[in-house]
Amino acid sequence: MIVIDAILNRANTSIAKTQNLQELEDLRVSFLGKKGELTALLKGLGKLSKEQRPKMGEAINRAKVNIQTLLTDKKNHLELVALEKRLLSEKIDVSLPGRNAEMGGLHPITITLNRIQSLFAKNGFEVAIGPEIEDDFHNFTALNIPQHHPARAMHDTFYFDKNTVLRTHTSPVQIRTLEKQKPPLRIIAPGRVYRCDSDITHTPMFHQVEGLIVDKHANFAQLKGLLIDFLRAYFEQEDLKVRFRPSYFPFTEPSAEADIECVICHGVGCRVCKKTGWLEVLGCGVVHPNVLSSVNIDPEIYTGLAFGIGIERLAMLRYGVNDLRLFFENDSRFLRQFR
Amino acid sequence: MNILSNWLREWVNPNVTDEALAEQLTMAGLEVDGIAPIAPAFKGVVVGYVISCEKHADADKLNLCQVDVGEAENLQIICGAKNIRSGLKVIVATVGAELPDGLKIKKAKLRGVESFGMICSESELGITDSSEGIAELENDAPIGQDIRAYLNLDDHIIELDVTPNRGDCFSVLGVARELSAHYNLAFNLPEFEALAQGDCAIGASVSDTQACPKYLTRTIIGIDNTVKTPKWMADKLVRSGQQLHSPVVDITNFVLLELGQPMHGFDLSKLEGDIKVRMAKSGEQIELLNEIIVKLKEDTLVIADGGSVLAIAGIMGGMSSATQSNSSNILLESAFFEPISIAGKARSYGLHTESSLRFERGVDFNMTELAMERATQLIVEICGGQASKINACIDKNALPKLKPISINQEKIQKILGFALDSDWIEQKFINLGFEISQKTNNSWVIIPPSFRFDIRIPVDLIEELARLYGYDKLPVQKLSLESSISTISEADISQYDIMQSLVNRGYQEVITYSFISEKYQNLISPEAKKIRLSNPISADMSIMRSSLISGLLQTVESNQRRGHTDARFFEIGLCFDGIKADEQSNKLAAIVTGNRFSPQWSVDLQALDFFDIKSDLESLLSLTDAEFSFEAAQHVALQKGQTAKIILKGEQVGWIGALSPILQKQLSLPECYLFEIDLANIKSGSIAQYKPLSSYQQSGRDIALVLDENIPVAELIQSIKAMQQQCFIEVNLFDVYTGEGVELGKKSVALSLTYQSPEGTLTETQLNVKVDEVLALMQTQYSAILR
Repeated sequence: MIVIDAILNRANTSIAKTQNLQELEDLRVSFLGKKGELTALLKGLGKLSKEQRPKMGEAINRAKVNIQTLLTDKKNHLELVALEKRLLSEKIDVSLPGRNAEMGGLHPITITLNRIQSLFAKNGFEVAIGPEIEDDFHNFTALNIPQHHPARAMHDTFYFDKNTVLRTHTSPVQIRTLEKQKPPLRIIAPGRVYRCDSDITHTPMFHQVEGLIVDKHANFAQLKGLLIDFLRAYFEQEDLKVRFRPSYFPFTEPSAEADIECVICHGVGCRVCKKTGWLEVLGCGVVHPNVLSSVNIDPEIYTGLAFGIGIERLAMLRYGVNDLRLFFENDSRFLRQFR
Repeated sequence: MNILSNWLREWVNPNVTDEALAEQLTMAGLEVDGIAPIAPAFKGVVVGYVISCEKHADADKLNLCQVDVGEAENLQIICGAKNIRSGLKVIVATVGAELPDGLKIKKAKLRGVESFGMICSESELGITDSSEGIAELENDAPIGQDIRAYLNLDDHIIELDVTPNRGDCFSVLGVARELSAHYNLAFNLPEFEALAQGDCAIGASVSDTQACPKYLTRTIIGIDNTVKTPKWMADKLVRSGQQLHSPVVDITNFVLLELGQPMHGFDLSKLEGDIKVRMAKSGEQIELLNEIIVKLKEDTLVIADGGSVLAIAGIMGGMSSATQSNSSNILLESAFFEPISIAGKARSYGLHTESSLRFERGVDFNMTELAMERATQLIVEICGGQASKINACIDKNALPKLKPISINQEKIQKILGFALDSDWIEQKFINLGFEISQKTNNSWVIIPPSFRFDIRIPVDLIEELARLYGYDKLPVQKLSLESSISTISEADISQYDIMQSLVNRGYQEVITYSFISEKYQNLISPEAKKIRLSNPISADMSIMRSSLISGLLQTVESNQRRGHTDARFFEIGLCFDGIKADEQSNKLAAIVTGNRFSPQWSVDLQALDFFDIKSDLESLLSLTDAEFSFEAAQHVALQKGQTAKIILKGEQVGWIGALSPILQKQLSLPECYLFEIDLANIKSGSIAQYKPLSSYQQSGRDIALVLDENIPVAELIQSIKAMQQQCFIEVNLFDVYTGEGVELGKKSVALSLTYQSPEGTLTETQLNVKVDEVLALMQTQYSAILR
């Protein structure tokens, strides 16, 4: 028994002293290994008397368990210390930026178009598109703008030949849609349009969104309601003042233009609104019966409502852009501001 | 058109400010672009009379004036103007006056002499921008009268943007009539009549009465056209933007502004025989009043005499027969030309005149006589002379027909969405000068007046009612329409999805012009059809693009110049192979240049290459369910050996490659990689279909093959996939190697093959059989051997 106690004591001291896992393993072998001290004692059990044998066996086993526990605890401890050390060495500056693959961005005109499309989509409007090189019929004649109509002169049209133009507005999409789709319908038609004009406030190419509703029960009051809702939603301003003025488009009757209270000066009068307090943002009206007739829709049964919105204008007002030409210069410094 | 508010108020005078009046015009559909006062604010300035003018004793340039300003005592005023002299009517700012620049006039002493006021120039009052010396007023200017009243300065110029349908509002009369309807004020057409004697000495005939249904002439003999146009008329003309000429011309211009009727005065002595209104003959030409000689086209209506063409009808008179200041006998013309016969003609000669503007949009055909009388009356009053009776060529059948229009409450309500009161409706029709020819409780038959060319159908009447009611007061409703949920295919790939996929990979969208220069077109798509604008803004914007690449190259170039060297750009837009609708296709193109990552602490700078942009394109194509392949090819703008066609179902749908070094040099561009693809090919993906998962392990085998370096790896992979081996899952390329250990002209390609069975884990033997099949195929098809 004294021998076992002595072994236990030694084991205790030397395990406590040990500072690395290899030493610990050596200790395990020297106490518990095949040639270890306790193993040797176990082998010697046979030489003991019948009475002594169980007592001694039990003591040896107890010592074995004890030493094993000491070894395991020490091992866990040493591993923890080693981990701590490693973690310390692997410490990083978490404030450093992540590996950066930059996001790109959409053009502000596209952002504006997408926003307009999704607002109208909420009201069941589907997107329609049409060609940009148009024939005279779709761009003018079918829209109640016959040859020699004064409105043609105002359009500053780009021509390819007498009968072929770059579309001057998105309104021809109204005609193209009605040629193949039967009412009731509501569409919006976004896209590029072209006018032969280039100065500080005009670019020869710009964007419009055309809207069209054809229905048996459509009326001017609904058109007003829809566009007021849209403008307030677009500018996220519930109390935005909107006013409608009579205007003239050959393809609508009655025709109107809508102004919003100047979003820059809030109606006080500034340079942007030319001191009027109002900004013109869109044209609209009840589709002229001649237009419906030109696509074989009976104007006595159906009423059409149409509107046209200038996209650059809305984008400029919303984002505070003060020069139209910036949209087509594609300067990265400008475009990145919309990411 | 510029219109004076005081002139308007002579016709109809609502009790509102000029600003409120302008606002009302805008809300009536006659948009006011601006309203400007004739003169800035100032006060205490009156008409004075210079009784005497002597040199200042101590200053050569100063004069000592005694000025009568209508007060008990004359004022002593010192004046330095060169044109000061006794007997002159002048503008005097009296002590206490405030001038536009803020100057307050006080008693002053100049070189020891007291001065009680200031004699002013027009520029000092802000009436003109500059003036030489002090203003010299008419001799009959009433002494002491406030100068604002005398010069009629409390007035505004209202700038109207008249829409093409409202030709009737190109006159004081027209705008006044419109205002009277809005303000519910009485409006009566004035009567003018000139004393006429004897027949018109010169005859007139109209050969095309469709184009000219009404042609009136009269002579006025013995006028003095050297007199000065009276101030009241001159002021109105100048302030409305007209230049002054001789009285006869000024008077016809005045009537044009007042009544909207363009007129013309010929010098009778220059005419040869009778007037003929006819179409121009081939080869005829005329020198116009603006000194330009034009060759006339045969579709142009002209006024001619026995000898030559005198004027282009309704557009501009000729030089040779024009009234001059020495003209003493004139032939005055007032006519109605059919709008269609004038429309577009002025523009076709590069002309745009006050006359053509009005005739194109429609002049009141009942105004012809009244305007003739008005102009005659004014000429006789101002220049004297004796007017003849009017010689009238009128074809009543050719005059526009005033067709009755039926309208009822039901129709009004259908269009506007609410009902208007019947009495109110009638009153407004009357206010607008519309004749109610029949009526019931809720329906009317209306005959529009001769000045409203725009009123043809019931909705035209409805717009009139809505205008007078006020668009702003019209009710607002929610859309209440027939509608149903229409389906959206889950497999559809929207343009937004495509854009977002590129944005996520670092691309910035750009929008470039759809027209490009011929130079770029030749560099990028020399074989494409050149779709040329007949009236481009400039040569740089004259050809419709057949590819988006030119716009992207220009974008890279301009950003490069601004120092932005790392860039990924894309554009989506129509490209043009022809002018027909189906020859306009939506394309997507992208370009990259510079480094893969912007300079940063954790990544070394690496230049972008072909496989960067190809990976972006492939990720985009993976949205679809189609199999795209790439085939080495050549393109004029792309680098030989680094260019591929994008192929779908055997058809080429796009290009990918490096920008050719030649173009780089020519366009001062850096290394760029780009692709372009027809978007019609990225339309739809697939809707997922679940396949059961195998619960057994996958087995894999890596093989390295040595083969001819010119064999495209994609072909190898494709043919392995095409074997359609049972249990085949995928083949993955993980290394391509040339160099040491591999024979020259050969390459080593390392592939990893993966198999999995739904029935059990594959045994080594089973796996070997499958791999051997692949190796055998590689051997026979590509002479590839296991390394």
